[in-house]
Order: sequence, then structure tokens, then C-alpha cells
Amino acid sequence: MVTPPVKLIGLDFGTTTSKALIVEARYRSDPLSGRPEIQELGAPYRSDIVFTPFIGDRIDDARIRTLLDGWLAAASARPEDIAGGGAIITGLCARRSNAADLAALIRARIGGAVIATADDPGLEAFLAFMGSAAALSRARPGVPLLNLDIGGGTSNLALGVDGEVLQVGCLFVGARHIEVEPGSYRITALSGHALRLLAGLGISARPGDRLAPEQVAAVLAFYIELLEAAVTGREAPFQSELGRSHVDIPFHLAPAPAPDLAPPWLSLSGGVGELVYQRLQGHASPATTTFGDLGIDLAARILASPVLSARLLVPEGGGRATSYGLLRSLTRLSGSTLYLPQPELLPLSDLAIFGRISATSTDEQIHAALALVRRSARGGCLTVSLAGRAPGAVKALGGRIGQALQDLDFPASLPLVLLVPDNVGKALGAYITGWGRLPVTLIVLDELAPKTARFVQIGRMVEQVVPVSFHGMGQAEEAS
Amino acid sequence: MKDLRPLSEIPAPAPRPDELYTIDVFGEQVAFRGLKRLLGAADHSKAGERHAGLAAATEREREAARCTLASLTLQHLFDRPLTTAAGQIDEVMRVNYDIDLEVFAEIADLTLGELKNRLLRANGRELLRIGAGLTGVMAAALCKLCDVHELVLLASRISCPTRARTRLGAPGTLSSRLQPNHPTDDLRGVTLLVYWGLSIGAGDALLGINPAIDTVENVSALLHHLDRLRRKTGAPTQICVLAHVKTQLACLERGAPVEVLFQSLAGTETTLRDEFDVSVDLLDRAYRTMAERGALKGEAEQFMYFETGQGSELTYGKHEGIDMTTTEALCYGLCRRWDPFMVNNVTGFIGPETHLDNFEMIVSNLQDHFMGKLLGLPMGMAPCYTLHSKISIEGQQIATQLLTAAGANYYMDVCLGTDRMLAYFDTSGHDDQTLREIHGKLPGAELLAWALAMHIFARDEHGAIVRGPRWGDVRRFCDSDAELAELIKATPAVHGFATAGPRPADEVSRVVRLHQAAAREAVACELGEDQLQAITPLRSLHTAASSKDAHLGDPSLGARLSAASLAALETEPATVQILISDGLSAEAVHHNLPALLPILIDGLAACAMPVGVPLLARYGRVKLAEPVAERLGARVVIHLIGERPGGDALASCSLSAYLLYRREDGEPGPRHEYTVISNIHEGGLPPLEAGAVLVEKVRQILEHRAAGNRLESLVDP
Repeated sequence: MVTPPVKLIGLDFGTTTSKALIVEARYRSDPLSGRPEIQELGAPYRSDIVFTPFIGDRIDDARIRTLLDGWLAAASARPEDIAGGGAIITGLCARRSNAADLAALIRARIGGAVIATADDPGLEAFLAFMGSAAALSRARPGVPLLNLDIGGGTSNLALGVDGEVLQVGCLFVGARHIEVEPGSYRITALSGHALRLLAGLGISARPGDRLAPEQVAAVLAFYIELLEAAVTGREAPFQSELGRSHVDIPFHLAPAPAPDLAPPWLSLSGGVGELVYQRLQGHASPATTTFGDLGIDLAARILASPVLSARLLVPEGGGRATSYGLLRSLTRLSGSTLYLPQPELLPLSDLAIFGRISATSTDEQIHAALALVRRSARGGCLTVSLAGRAPGAVKALGGRIGQALQDLDFPASLPLVLLVPDNVGKALGAYITGWGRLPVTLIVLDELAPKTARFVQIGRMVEQVVPVSFHGMGQAEEAS
Repeated sequence: MKDLRPLSEIPAPAPRPDELYTIDVFGEQVAFRGLKRLLGAADHSKAGERHAGLAAATEREREAARCTLASLTLQHLFDRPLTTAAGQIDEVMRVNYDIDLEVFAEIADLTLGELKNRLLRANGRELLRIGAGLTGVMAAALCKLCDVHELVLLASRISCPTRARTRLGAPGTLSSRLQPNHPTDDLRGVTLLVYWGLSIGAGDALLGINPAIDTVENVSALLHHLDRLRRKTGAPTQICVLAHVKTQLACLERGAPVEVLFQSLAGTETTLRDEFDVSVDLLDRAYRTMAERGALKGEAEQFMYFETGQGSELTYGKHEGIDMTTTEALCYGLCRRWDPFMVNNVTGFIGPETHLDNFEMIVSNLQDHFMGKLLGLPMGMAPCYTLHSKISIEGQQIATQLLTAAGANYYMDVCLGTDRMLAYFDTSGHDDQTLREIHGKLPGAELLAWALAMHIFARDEHGAIVRGPRWGDVRRFCDSDAELAELIKATPAVHGFATAGPRPADEVSRVVRLHQAAAREAVACELGEDQLQAITPLRSLHTAASSKDAHLGDPSLGARLSAASLAALETEPATVQILISDGLSAEAVHHNLPALLPILIDGLAACAMPVGVPLLARYGRVKLAEPVAERLGARVVIHLIGERPGGDALASCSLSAYLLYRREDGEPGPRHEYTVISNIHEGGLPPLEAGAVLVEKVRQILEHRAAGNRLESLVDP
């Protein structure tokens, strides 16, 4: 299965700068599993990095619109050519009103965009993983991967398996708590955390003072100890007062959701992460404190730490989390043998996921879940867990769902979308409808397993495949 | 560029009636009617010759044939061109007469026995000089008189170096053709396999892909991709995508980098024309096009690449009564017309119907190598096997040891010996390097220089070339671990890159062998009727194959019903019939039917499609659906059949569904049309889902009264 090319867009809006990436891609079958996947065609269009337009603290709607149009034009893409997209909104742009305005602007141009707004550190860790490390994680099935997104103020930790984030955490470990004059260690500014750290280490220093080499080493040693403890699951360093003060969101490696998992491999992102990867690729280290902070030194210490460097992997893009990476991570393709007798029903936008039913659900639970969908004027979505592909289980559950639909007198025109993790979409749909005899607008999309999403966007079918994006954080509950 | 002599200017003697060759063997008269029969009987007994009735019945008869051959003069062979069934000299035979007539005149009166003695006393240059005066038939006859030592010794004296971008076949070298085949031409898989091969010093002969999809668009994309990989790595070699010659020429027309032009060839015109869709005229034009517009024009001295191997003519039933060795030699006589850069012999590829076991494969490879070199060809060898033959990796390795001693120019580098697209087993880059180390050979000079600079190879303290510190470091070519992981994820049967010396590390070899063992078991496994009857009642049928060996050795038997089964079947009202057969993997049937059959029956019933009681046939082949459809009067036969196992244990349980549509009497076009749903197993299309897919497809077939391409064009015009 190889489909005609489509265009996908990735947008990044930050406090200072914004940029866009537009790539031509097509959906095709994974060569081994036959599972559909996105494959890029050729080099993407990358916009220049521009200053994010603000009027005061508010984004400048008109100039944003001009920017969007300019990027599409430069990539020879009409808005209607864009089959999907993702946007990462961070910093000042992520403030509530700005984020809403930006989302509206983007949606107006690119209907199916997945928009992620990083307004808390946990989400930043999630986005960093999805934007940088998810592809690497998916490519190493079953292997835990811990991404450390180390920037100026924080280190955001996200542990994932198979491209899905399992846990997040955040430490106040970063390059810019201590700002210095480029080329020297003369302090120009100290954050509150830096003041506490220096005090805790017995270092008396304030802006204008020059840090001695052993003082720099002590600061970095503290940071490295926290990072090493986080990645090895060692709790002790976080139990001191100083250690506790450097924790924003606790990160507990153990107990992991699957205790039999091997120790995680590591990847890095963020400014410090990029510096580490540049060194690994043989680039010379920038001169001392070139960037006016301790980032270069922190990167060097990470490389010198056997704990941090021995299991370090290099993700795509050398640790730069991107909206395009996010797009790839949040957009899934359905299996190619789905149950979709009426493809013209698609696309369906922002369909709510009302709950989950499984082979062990009672008839009452199945009724309740379907009744929720029935009450929605736009129809809705349920996830279905079959616990395997036992033929009997599919037939039995299909028959029970079909019976419940009849009992509820489910409206024939109301869309009901079932999302199934296993490759049984056509079989389940066939058993539910008695091979099309039950008058119901049923869509069964298989090989999709949303873990945390509340809403789903279902794109148009391209060759036998449907692109599906999930958004809205929060766990869909089992019907009860 | 070589001048191509017009076919009309190549003189060939007029055909003569077959004559009777008789010889007295210890008082017993042994007779052979015609040269074809004599040539066939003089060869070793091989499966293909036995099926064709060409093999000698006894050792005495074989030696009698050899004695007779040895007594014939070269002039005798010259004067009796082998003809088609219609008594004609075909194009291939005519090209074989494009020889150096001065040399021939010098040796025409020698008997074949005398010629063999003369060659054994000659040096390599003389061997090549005499070879230029021989037709393929003469080379084949000669090789039938040679024992293994003689085949190795004579070939080892002959050197046939060529040059495209780099030089191939220089004395002291052993090169490899890197074959990064992928079942879906996935560029990531291709990339990984190219990186891996280069990381172990392979690929100096060629980077060459057998495409899964032979379209101009796809082949062009593969050519451009190989070109990018070659430029990115800097590896000095040449590239090729082994599509049909017409496809490659169309790619060249569109600007794709066609550096070396490939085509499979055969030793009879009917095979060339009907099966390979080529002719001498087409290849002449292709040769001239490459000389004028090929990507290496002005740089390459040779730019054609041919693939051959014993048995293709026989498999297609177009051997014209000529034995496999002789048709192979005729193919070489054809190849040399276009002065190829490389010739690749893949004897063993077809299966047990041509070469049953290790001996047959090994001796055929030695014969082919010798004949090719004697006729002046740059021979690369690919002693290979499929898992439904009795050829093993040990036999393959013995063949490569002998062929290396005989001076083969190159082998294939198929990662871990497992071809991911063609479901057969070839030599690997590990094998190439192992043979280099055993036989004191080196890669081609250009690639060696590159590999030294890349520390893939190094010089030891004595100046000798050894594996270097980066030998086997595939990661070096990737920008990130993510990239490498992505490439690995896209590539089947990559069981590890760990090495021990030039070999795969033992843990890697063990996994490879386990997968092969599982696949062999899938082939050997007998259909378990009782367990299948437990799913649903089945009607048993018998094919014309009376045993597993007969089934594997002769594909035509499994396509026919036994007389008793044929007689037992009568026309039924059911529109749809379900036929189950083992094909080449009974395991596939056992694994998939319990989930597939119930939903298939449920679905057909729910859709009110009249279906008969399913039929079960042991030792069946795909075409068995045709007599079943005809006999029962079914419009559609759903034939569920086990696929040929490859190097992946999971895929060894892979089932295919051939949906046959029997067209109405009198409709134009083929009587039977097929839609195929393949790769049915838990790792591919799960059997439960496959059942639902099949119901939907059968509905479409009946609605549109078509299957295959015709159905697709009606459903999606």
C-alpha cells in the first residue's frame, strides 16, 4: 500500500522565535508488519526562524496570519493541501489567552492540526519526548527510553516505551541558574535555586564575583548527582533539603509500570542536550561560557559521567524537539483493513471519546457506554479492548455490541466510532452489524490504542488508511 | 564498444536429422538417439534431467555416453546445431556460432577427449584463446568429461577481469555483489543492508537490488537511492537495479543513473522471448544505448550484467529437449556477445525440481563456472538454495570453497545469507570475508583503498591486509542511534551485527539457523487432517503427487487432482468453494485455519453466498483450484495454501488466499482470474481479520464478475 503524497506541517511558536516545517509525505505499509505509517518524501521546507510577533504581551493576530500564509506559499502548499499538522506553543505564547488565539488561527488555516500547548513542566517533558525521542523509542520496541530535556532552568524527564510516555518528572537542574560573563565565570545573575544551591554548598558568591574552578565543579557535581540519581532510581540525593528544593515534579523510576523492564536507555534534548550531541559528533566545544551560562560545562560533565553517557542514544535531529516530531508522534494511521462501509463520512473532527468497553464488560456496561454516545448529537467514539484476537471473543463481543445497538434503537445516522488496538477492525465490524445488515453508521478503526486522549480527529481515508490524531489529556474511563 | 555482428551474418550449419550413437560397453551395446540425448545422458544425474527424461538410467549408461562424447570431434559438434522442437536453429544457437573461426579451424579435428587433454596442459591465456573458438555446446560437452579437480583446475587458470567504474576479477581478488533486497523495496531496509555490507568490506563488485516492484517509478527511485548511498559513503563501486531491461532503459531515459544494465538470460529463444520478454535485437539496442548514454559512458569498458543459472529453461518447459548444463552453456555463448561486466550464476535458486541436493547443486556450480570462464565470461557465483530442497548451508559453503579455489570473481553479499525478498538463501558478506581470509584474497583495489582509509581494513605489522577496527561498524554510517534503530526496524531477519572474526557471532548464527530450522519443518510438516476436521467438516481430495518428495520435486503434480478424486467430484450448485492445501507449508494451514475458517464460513453464510463443504487437499499447488472450479462448476474458489517459507520463523506460517474466478464460457481472455491475499499470519494480516477481508473480496468478485487486475480496475477505475 503506497498512497499519493500529502503535505504535513509543523509549527513552533515560542516566546522569542517561531518557525515552520512543511514536508511532503505519504502513507505506506510498514515493510514488516504491513502496518501503515507516515513516510517523508524528500527534504522538507524549513522556514527562516522569525521573531514571534507580539503587541505587548498579546500575540499579533494579523502578523501571525501573514506568517502562516507566507510559510505555506514558500512551500508551494495551499491550505487545502495540508493533510495534517502539529504545533508546539511554548513560553509567552502558551499563556492561556495567547494559546487560545493561536490555536484558533492555526485551526482556521489547517483544520486538522494537533496543537500542544506547553503550559506546565510535565507537559514540557511530554512534548520534549514526543518531539525528539518518540521515533527512537518506537524504533526500539519494548525498550524503556528516558529523555532528559535539559534547558536553562529545568531538566524535564520523560520515561517512555514504544513511543508512549509512561512517567514524567522535573528537576530544577539547568544551565542558566548561574549566569556569567561569556568567556569567564564572573557571575552576572543568580536564580533563587542557584542562591540556595550555592548556600547549600557553602559557596559565598554573588553577582560580580568570579566562581573558582572548584566552585564550578561543585555546582556541576551536584547537578550530575541529581541527574544520575534520577536515571538510576536512587532516592537518597532527593531526600536532603537541598535535593528536595531542586525537585519540581518528582520522578520515580521505580516502581516502573512494568518492573521487569530493563534499565532505560537515555536520550537528551534541550539546549544542553544539543551541546552534548554536538560534542559526540566531533564538533569542537564552544569556548568557555560562550553562552553566558554553565551549559557547556554541564554538557561536558554529562559526557564524562559513565552513568549518563554509557547508555546514551542519539535521537533524530540530535535532540531538537520539534513540532514535526510531535506531529509524527501524535498522529497515527489506522490499520488498512478497517470497517468503513461509508468512507464519505470522513473527516470527523473533535469527536469525544466517551469511554472504553472490553470483552469482560457486562451487557449493562456496554449499554451504558453506547447510551453515552447516543446522547451526543455528533455521535462519538469508544475504545474497545479485546484482550487478544481470539476468534470467539471477537464474535461474542461483536454480537453483544450489535444487540445493545438494537436494544438502544441506536440512530442509523449517528456516527459511532470504535477504536481497537488489535488488527480486527473489519472482523469486529462485520460481527457487530451481521455483515452490514444492521442499519448503523459504524466505523471500526483498528491498530489504534489511545492511552490518554479525550478527543479524536479522524481524517479522510487515503487508499485504505485513515489518519487519526488524538488530543486532550486524561484517561478515558472504562464504562461502568 | 564491441561490434555486434548481425545475426544474419553469423553462419550456422544446416540442421541434420538425429543420428544414432552406439558404443560397446563390456560386450553390451549402448545406444543414444541424437546429440541432445547423448549430452543429457553424459551429465551427472540431476533432478531436472530426471524429470525431463534426459538423465542416464544407470552409471554404465552415463559413462558410455561420456566415452561416446569423448570420441566425437569438435567438427562433429559444429556440424550438428541443436534445434528447436520444430527443427529450427533459434537465435541463441545462432549467436553461439559467432566464434573465432580461425581458432576453431585449428582444433576442429580434435576429439573432445583430446581437447580436454590439451586444455589440461595449457595455461590460462591459451585456455581463453581456445575458448573463443568454442560454441556453448562444445563447452558443455567438454565439462561433462571433467571431474571436480579438472573443473576447478582449468577454471582457476583463467582470469577474466573487467572494468566499469572499478575493476572486477583481477587476480588475487575476491569481490562481492551487495544485494540489499527488501520485500517491499523499503529504502530504509535497503540503506541498512548497504551500510552493513560496506561496513564489512563487501559491495566492491556492485550494489545491486532485485526490485520487488518492477515499475519505472520504483526502479528509478531505487537507482537514485543507491546513487545517493554510494556518494554519501564514498564507496568506489557501481550500482544496478535488477529490473527488466526495458524498465531500466526507461529509467535511463528519465535520467536515472543506470550504470550497469542487467538482464536475466536463458539458453533457448523460447524462454528468452516468452518468459523473459527479450530478444537478441532488443539486447543489441540496449547495449548500444548504454554505450552511448549509460551513466558510465566513456568510463566503463563493460557495462552489461547478466544473470543465469541451470534449469530455468526446463522449469518453463522450454528447454527444447536440451539438458540443463548445455542450455546453460548456450546461455553463456549468448552472454559473451555483449562483453558483460559481470555474469552471475544462481544455480540452486529454482528449487528441488532442478537441483535436489547438495551434490547436484555443487557440481552444477562447478560446471557453470568452468564453462563460463572458458567462454571468456567474468563469472560471479551464487551457490544458493531454497528451504524446500535438500540443499543445506553446508553444501553451499562447500561449493564456495571449491569455487574460490577455482577462481570465482565474486559472490553475493546477502546479509546473514537470508534474502528478504526472494525467500532463498545465498552467500553473505561474512562468507566473502571468510573465503578471502582462507584463500588469501582481497577485495578489489579501489574498494580496498577506501576501506583502508575507513579503517574497515588495516595493515598489520607485516603489511598484510587484515580486518580493521571499524570492520562491522554499521552505526558509523548513521547520523543517530534513532536512524540506525529505524533502519533496523524496517528490515526483516536482521538477527544481529555481532561478529566473531569474519563470521557472525555464534549467538547470531544460532538464531539464523533456528529460523531456517523452523522453516524447514514447516515444509516437511504433513497436513494434520484430524485437527483441521475439528474446525469444521472437510472433504478430502488427493492430488497427483503421491508423496511429499514427489510434491516438492515436481510442481505440476500438485496442480492436478488424482484420477480418483477427479472422478469423485461432480457439479454442485454452490457458487463458492473453499479449498485448503498445504502448498509449501502445512504449518501455515495449521496456524491460521482455526481462526480464519469459522469467520469465513460465518461471513459467506451471512451474505447468503452458496458455499460447498470445504475441500482439503494434501500436496496441493496454487493451480489446483482450476480443476476444482471446473469439476464442481464453482464460480469462485477460495484456495487457502501455505506459502514457501523463507528465513523468518513467523513468516514460515504465512498463508495465502488465491481467489480464483472462473469466467463464463466464451468470454475473451484467460479462463481463470486470480485475486491474491497473502502474508496471512499473526505477524502480518491476522487470520481472523483475513477471514473478514476474504468475505468482502468474494462479494466484490461475484458482484463485478471479475478477479485480479480486471477486478481492481472495475472497483477503482
